[in-house]
Amino acid sequence: MNKPRILVVEDEADIRRFLRLALEREDMTVFEAGDALHARIDAASRQPDLIVLDLGLPDDDGKVVIRDVRGWSSAPIIVLSARESEAEKVAALESGADDYLVKPFGVPELVARVRAQLRRASLAGARGQASALVRFGDIEVNLATHEVRRGGEVVHLTPIEFRLLAALVRGQGKVLTHRQLLIDVWGPGHASRSHYVRVYMANLRQKLEQQPARPRHLVTELQVGYRLAGIVETS
Amino acid sequence: MIPHPAQVPPRAFQYRVLVYAVAACAFTTGIAALLLRVFDLSNVVMVFLLTVMLVALRWGRAAGALAAVVAVGSFDFFFVPPVWSFHVSDTQYLFTFLLMLVVALVTGQLAARLRAEAVGAAAGERRANALAAVATELSVAVRDEDIANVCATRIGALLDGKATLLLPGRDERMPTAGQGDTGIAQWVLEEGLPAGRGTDTLPANEATYLPLTTPLRTRGVLMLERATMQPLDTEQLGLLRAFQSLIALAIERVHFVEVAQETQLRVEGERLRNALLSAVSHDMRTPLTAIRGMAGMLGESDVAQAIVNQADRMQRQVANLLDAARLQSEGVRLDLQWHALDELVGSALAATALGSRQVVVDIPAEFPLVELDATLFERVLVNLFDNAAKYTPGDATLYIRADHTGSKLILRVEDDGPGFPPGIDINLLFAEFARGTRESAVPGVGLGLSLSRRIVEAHGGSISASRRMPHGARFEIILAAGEPPAIDLEDSA
Repeated sequence: MNKPRILVVEDEADIRRFLRLALEREDMTVFEAGDALHARIDAASRQPDLIVLDLGLPDDDGKVVIRDVRGWSSAPIIVLSARESEAEKVAALESGADDYLVKPFGVPELVARVRAQLRRASLAGARGQASALVRFGDIEVNLATHEVRRGGEVVHLTPIEFRLLAALVRGQGKVLTHRQLLIDVWGPGHASRSHYVRVYMANLRQKLEQQPARPRHLVTELQVGYRLAGIVETS
Repeated sequence: MIPHPAQVPPRAFQYRVLVYAVAACAFTTGIAALLLRVFDLSNVVMVFLLTVMLVALRWGRAAGALAAVVAVGSFDFFFVPPVWSFHVSDTQYLFTFLLMLVVALVTGQLAARLRAEAVGAAAGERRANALAAVATELSVAVRDEDIANVCATRIGALLDGKATLLLPGRDERMPTAGQGDTGIAQWVLEEGLPAGRGTDTLPANEATYLPLTTPLRTRGVLMLERATMQPLDTEQLGLLRAFQSLIALAIERVHFVEVAQETQLRVEGERLRNALLSAVSHDMRTPLTAIRGMAGMLGESDVAQAIVNQADRMQRQVANLLDAARLQSEGVRLDLQWHALDELVGSALAATALGSRQVVVDIPAEFPLVELDATLFERVLVNLFDNAAKYTPGDATLYIRADHTGSKLILRVEDDGPGFPPGIDINLLFAEFARGTRESAVPGVGLGLSLSRRIVEAHGGSISASRRMPHGARFEIILAAGEPPAIDLEDSA
């Protein structure tokens, strides 16, 4: 199996170095770029399987780089950002980024996110789309039959609850913003009513999570959106 | 419409002009007697007509009319035969008298009107000039002092007195150390009605207090002190009205110039502060990220883990400091949205390292949405959970409970650890940089709780601490429930 090729775009040399060390230890090939110009060149010439991108680049807005790369590449993009800039994270995700990490972050977090995104990309690449049967924790979701089971027992979901769950399942661990979920589940007219998502997500958690206030799968990305964690590959 | 002191009656009629009219007629009679030695009687009549016209021109309608009658009378009495008698021998003269009277009256009245119009025009011109001069000076005024100066130097002189501008302070109160009667000035400012001499309110006062009113509000008071008891004449009254409007508008203009400047300054300051905070935040975060990341590369050793923990701790303090700085800036704008409380609690729990401590969350499923700034409120919860992690042993239990009573939402965060040390004032916990135990080995500068209080209070809520029985600490956050937005219910499933 080929080593995954990772492009790290970060203007701080020390952070770049530790990202390289951490990922190389995981048996990945790492390329470094220090600004948006080299990021574009390397993203095209190196054909990376995944890009780790700092949003605060000296020469250009990271979001513009994401949009450019998204024009011709479907490689997952993980954005590095600050806690307080929710709007920036949302904009990056809606520009085409797949996930984000808040600085400062630990090595295990980084590796876990990178691996999850690589797995997601390889699955999507292999099948063209996600499988109809998805499992996470003791939950089993059948996208074809709209059947949801928890520990083998059928769980009754309302149509909107199911559509919301299905959107997260299709995202396969990608962070979906409130806006993206609202448009996907309710339609374009509801794009600004993020409290809808919160109410229905609370319902879903009541039905699917053991501790709704400490969710293990239906994870809140505060002020940004939601993602489904712990998806188990199914055949 | 600007309210005014009581209307001044037209200028009082001066009876002495009638005496002047009679005297003029007597003088003319004397002249006519002299002229009659040379000229014919019919020519002498003209002298009387001339006199009537001049009297009317000089002293007005009434004097002119009286002069006409007196002139005809004396012509009859002194010159028409039989002289020294009002009898008339030749009835021809009756026609002369009648004609003379009519001509005298008509020319007299015409002359009087001409005179009145000339006087009016001159007054109008004077008024226009005075207004133009004052308006010019007011238009270049850039400070309240400039306006006060125009009032003192220009306006007083035009109204035979002393005009003083009284302006309220920012609290809309007249300064007590100011000139004039502060109480009356305050009343005038609040009511927008004139007071003092010449008005219906407190007319015994020596000065008149006039409101300076713009379409928006009353902006100040013009105090007018006059040496004479004489009311203002129509011309001065008109001027005064115009001045009131002009001054009020000038004050308003100056006010808005100041407001605009202040706003610009504030916006600029805010922008600078945000830029500075972002820069500081970035400059702190970058080395922390590198330290934390590289420590993570050192493997599973205790030292590496300690570095990671300390970096995390430092990161949290930096976040607290930055949030505190942001909250300190004037007019913090909260990003209020309707949130599910359990989601915020979950998110904060995920962000806190609680180790092996048990967590019991009891938030009813039907708990209403709360309007919050999620980023800031998560900081409050993280600080509370962090405190619990800092001050309780590893086997402690954390209880998070939410209650909904009427218009209040109550969130309690409790632990069954040792609780607050005896003898400390629990309320002081929320003061800036207070800590339960002095110089303890537990890190943190007490910034967390004071920041938490500030955040909760910015949401219109309150936070308090108490001792939990039999042991442990309890924090209680109370928020207003608000009215969550309606949700279109799904069609039945």
